[in-house]
Amino acid sequence: MSIDLDIVREALPALWQGLKVTAQVSGIGIPSGIALGVAAAYSADSHNRALRAAALGYVELVRNIPFLILVYLSFFGLPKLGLQASAFYIAVGTTAFYTGGYFCEILRSAFRSVPAGQLRAAKALGMRGWQVQRFVVVPQIFGFLIPPTVSLAIMMFKDSAVFSVMSLPELTYQSNLKTADTFAYLEVLGTTALIYWGSSVLMEALGHAMEVRVRRWSHR
Amino acid sequence: MIDWLTVHGALHPFYDGVLQGAGVTLYVTVIAFGIGLVLALALLVLRAVAGTPARWLVAIYVSAIRGTPLLIQLLIAYYVIPSLLDVTISPTTAGILALSLNTAAYGSEIMRAALSTIPPGQAGAAKALGMRPWHVWMQILLPQMLHRSIPPLTNEFTVLLKASSLLSIIAVNDLATVARNATLQSDLPLQVFAATAAVYFAMLLCASSLSRGIERRFARMLPYVH
Repeated sequence: MSIDLDIVREALPALWQGLKVTAQVSGIGIPSGIALGVAAAYSADSHNRALRAAALGYVELVRNIPFLILVYLSFFGLPKLGLQASAFYIAVGTTAFYTGGYFCEILRSAFRSVPAGQLRAAKALGMRGWQVQRFVVVPQIFGFLIPPTVSLAIMMFKDSAVFSVMSLPELTYQSNLKTADTFAYLEVLGTTALIYWGSSVLMEALGHAMEVRVRRWSHR
Repeated sequence: MIDWLTVHGALHPFYDGVLQGAGVTLYVTVIAFGIGLVLALALLVLRAVAGTPARWLVAIYVSAIRGTPLLIQLLIAYYVIPSLLDVTISPTTAGILALSLNTAAYGSEIMRAALSTIPPGQAGAAKALGMRPWHVWMQILLPQMLHRSIPPLTNEFTVLLKASSLLSIIAVNDLATVARNATLQSDLPLQVFAATAAVYFAMLLCASSLSRGIERRFARMLPYVH
């Protein structure tokens, strides 16, 4: 079996278009999910019992339901509730929803990495709640947050392949169109896999560079 | 207003298939996890004892699996591998193949991290006591490594159970496929997929409470391991 490079060359423009859609979904969805996760993490540690229950329920839901089922539920279910949205926005929304649940867990374990004595000391010095966060907690947890957050971003980037089931023209969907056209499974799927792999390695390298930068001043 | 009796009647295709679908989901996950763990252990040992080229190959394999979507791996297992080997395989076999190759990569990384937490002095001390490499592995390194990797490995099992829903895309008759077909027949996507999510949720809760039991049992079996 030989590899036909002409097919690869012919497929590249479509795959590039697909990668752009994949990047858009991840680029909007993952940061929105991180914002959602921050809100959920502060809710989960708040004094309001209802808020706490809602945040913990949300995390359990995300952790125990397959991403594919969530995608089906939003793509086929939301229109039945009278909510019409394009596949693109549903993809961004489900990415954000799923990312948020996982980021909430990451952030909560980062909070726990700050010794309780420091929080009490800051309070004893007369700092307000937000001041404790701004000057004591947040500066210390960045180094702790980066590795799991990068893994999460890569996971969600890869999971975006699932959106091909709702005909969103992202990378996997474009690859499926090309294989249906040419039956050149090895060439097209191989190229697609290489594109995903390269992007993941790039994200990992960026994350590592960020980690080195943030930990520069750390004494630990 | 939803008429619940009508909904209940329309959900019959789902009720009929749900047990069998959940069974297939559980079956492929357990088989793939078992094969995957054996392969992971093989990769780990290969990485520890083989020469540089083999180590590089293992590292590239792990990076490739971790860097590509499982869905693409499934499509490659179903379409590319049979044509390369000139064989035909069923969707279920292709699914189990992809899931176990995936578990092998993630599992070997988990085991490697666990192995690296064992102080290197222990292997050195065992060698100084005259133990052969085989005994160092079997009596010093592997028991402690396994004990330390149980929590992340059981987590990996729940990840795999969730990920197995992707097998529905290559037409394996699992829980997600049953849900898909029941939606087409009943036109009640909201109810069917919410019920499916509930079934997955229940299976995953069972899996995680079972894994806590396994952790406790292992802790009793190896009292000298910390």
